[in-house]
Amino acid sequence: MRIRTVALLLILFGMFGVLSLTYAQNAPEASEKGKQVYENSCAHCHGTEGRGDGSAAENLLPKPRDFTRGLYKIRSTGTGELPTDQDLFDIITEGMPGSSMPPWDTALSANDRWEVVAYIKTFYDGFKEAETPPKQINLSGKVPYSEQSVETGKALYTELGCVECHGNIGRGDGTSAPDLTDEWGFQSWPANLTQGWNFRGGADTEDIFKRFVGGLAGSAMPAFEGDSFPGFGLTAEESSRMIELDNKDEMTEAEEEESAQLYEKYDAAVDIALNLAEGTELSAEEKQIYDDAMKVVYEKSWHLANYVKSLMPEKRPEPAIGNNVLRSQYIHGELPEMDNAAWETLEARYFPLVGQIVIEPRQFNPTIDAVNVKSYYNDTEVAFLFVWDDRTHTTDETDEETGKTLEDALAVQFPAKVPQGPTAPKPYFLWGGRLPVYLWHWKASAPEQVTELTAKGVNNAEVQEAQGELKAQATYTEGQYKLWVKRALKTEDKKDLQLDPGVFVPIAFSAWDGANGDVDTKRVMTSWYTFVLEPVPSSKRFIYPPVIALLSVGFLFGLRAFVQRRNSEE
Amino acid sequence: MSLFTICLIILVGSWVFLRFVVGGIISVPIPGSVIAMYMGLIVIAILVHISVEDSLFREFRRPILETLVDDKRRLHRRVLVVLIPLLLLGYTYSIIAQRANPPGSPRDAHPSPPLELTYKDEVIGTMQDVVNPFRHYEKDDPEAFRAHVENGKRVYHHNCFYCHGDHLDGQGHFAPYLQPLPANFQDPGIIPNFQESFFFWRIAKGGPGLPAAGTPWDSAMPIWENTLTKDEIWDVILFLSDYTGYQFRTFGEAH
Repeated sequence: MRIRTVALLLILFGMFGVLSLTYAQNAPEASEKGKQVYENSCAHCHGTEGRGDGSAAENLLPKPRDFTRGLYKIRSTGTGELPTDQDLFDIITEGMPGSSMPPWDTALSANDRWEVVAYIKTFYDGFKEAETPPKQINLSGKVPYSEQSVETGKALYTELGCVECHGNIGRGDGTSAPDLTDEWGFQSWPANLTQGWNFRGGADTEDIFKRFVGGLAGSAMPAFEGDSFPGFGLTAEESSRMIELDNKDEMTEAEEEESAQLYEKYDAAVDIALNLAEGTELSAEEKQIYDDAMKVVYEKSWHLANYVKSLMPEKRPEPAIGNNVLRSQYIHGELPEMDNAAWETLEARYFPLVGQIVIEPRQFNPTIDAVNVKSYYNDTEVAFLFVWDDRTHTTDETDEETGKTLEDALAVQFPAKVPQGPTAPKPYFLWGGRLPVYLWHWKASAPEQVTELTAKGVNNAEVQEAQGELKAQATYTEGQYKLWVKRALKTEDKKDLQLDPGVFVPIAFSAWDGANGDVDTKRVMTSWYTFVLEPVPSSKRFIYPPVIALLSVGFLFGLRAFVQRRNSEE
Repeated sequence: MSLFTICLIILVGSWVFLRFVVGGIISVPIPGSVIAMYMGLIVIAILVHISVEDSLFREFRRPILETLVDDKRRLHRRVLVVLIPLLLLGYTYSIIAQRANPPGSPRDAHPSPPLELTYKDEVIGTMQDVVNPFRHYEKDDPEAFRAHVENGKRVYHHNCFYCHGDHLDGQGHFAPYLQPLPANFQDPGIIPNFQESFFFWRIAKGGPGLPAAGTPWDSAMPIWENTLTKDEIWDVILFLSDYTGYQFRTFGEAH
């Protein structure tokens, strides 16, 4: 080989080496620089002492991390382990969706982020005292996504008791959801597994797998260690056989013996796991049993991760901005009722909700992600279907502090009069001001009723005298509200908004989650979006285009005839 | 290659270049009206070129005439007599059946402030002359200045950072779902272009306080004079420039 080629190869390898270093590296020694960056960018939430008690922390939930306990939710490491430096760096870089931790990738240089990693490690001595690097979760046995795997994961989801917090189909509405607290005693809502975009540590299958195997330290989410699996130490077939036998009312003698054998194997494996946890040396045979058992557990965990992945859309829906406005579809005849399959054929528009932080009392920590809306209209009426996830069904709770009644609710807001032209002012987005808004207010305690209001400000709303123009139906199932509302396009009431096809009408929403303390101005809301009764496409579209096509044919023939005539004249 | 083919290639090539190369690979998409303008210019240039001499014009139209009448071009003719009406049919249909889109939201990004700066109903002074009452501490009493900045930081993180962000870059965790987006104070075009009194006005009066030129009043900026004291607003303004390192615009004595 020529020297030049060798040199070139060496340079390439060198570059590769440097690249791989930047990919996974360890934090530098803690320095003054790290402290400085931390105090400038992090301390207002996490506190100068790293206790998660900065001045902003008061209003936040989830609370900013307390670094003094060494408990980190998002790790690539096993349960009870500290995070790797790379884990900490990644969290700072990418932020934690669904919380107030933003991504710092543009605000801080990679160097600064590494300095911060080094500095926050000084808040917990465990990092210094650790003799071995934290043990990372082995991701090598990944089970590819398949319907079969999802089915297996779904069964495990029930067997492992995930439903208790995350609910039957994953909307975070399990029976114990409202009572969960974290290590510090703060409320800890279980994740809504259908909203992957709010997963703190990302929603790739690998991420889900790591959260499941390693747990979210400090939160109510435990790590699912091997022996907490039903049928630990058994193969997949054996464990489903065990459950099958357990569920039998009566067993034959042979079956009883089979069951006893399975239980014996299971107990033995659990004993080994306990011994291992206590630090007992395992014999080679025991080690083999344990390793085999863990292999099954990991495989099951991948199935579970695939199942959770199957619950969510691929990405967060696009908000209904720009031309992506809420378009009500025209249909002939009766408008579909709430349960009608006709609603399935419409694509919902997605209206993300943010906390109301303008007027006291404010809501800094929303629990309702968004409201999804569909609409149909006919010659005389318009119907809407509003769908939103809420972990709890609250109709009548009392707020301990204020004594006010807390309940779930939704309000749909229109201007009382449609602004004419793009520069015409709209009413103030928060329930109007100088210009009034027209509101539909629905409350969970009276699900068949929608109250019409006129408001000139959030604390200046009047119930309209003329009511009963709105028909409503509502259900709450599996952590999700569905509200169906129907109204005439034109009403007698002068305070109502009158609807005409083709007119772009501003629309906005407010929602209340009673279990999150929402009441009055404490709520989640949107600013103005746009709604239109999509005009029936003009029938001209079947007339003009063929006429123009025919004319063009005539023109071409005419042109040819003209040229021919002229040629023959020449 | 005939002159006609060359002209056709130039036309189609220019359109592809503008639409996909300039307005895609190199930069952001170009508005349709701008592309139409450029294409118009190119058509005019071609017309000028072919009409300079009679021979050029004859050369240009030769293939057209041939296609229309020549027996050798029968196949071309048949394809075109189907293709042209079909294209026109599709184009007219797409224009007529196009669904209406909502009007855009024209908005004055830098609305002109009123002449007088007020807090609630109290007149503070004229917009041009009012200065931050704590700004002078920066030179006179650095310790007091720090205390005001720290207080501004506290107020910011209790009220503003949800939208304007930890880094003051307008990317708070509530920001993505607000229209228009919250102001980005790290943008070098923001703080240095305004006096502190302008910021006081925008903070105190919020979205609803915008003048008619600021309509349609979509801004979610609250009226902070309802929540914050006058001093708190001035402190936040100190914090904004202290954290970002940008100086507010000043008039009067030279530096």
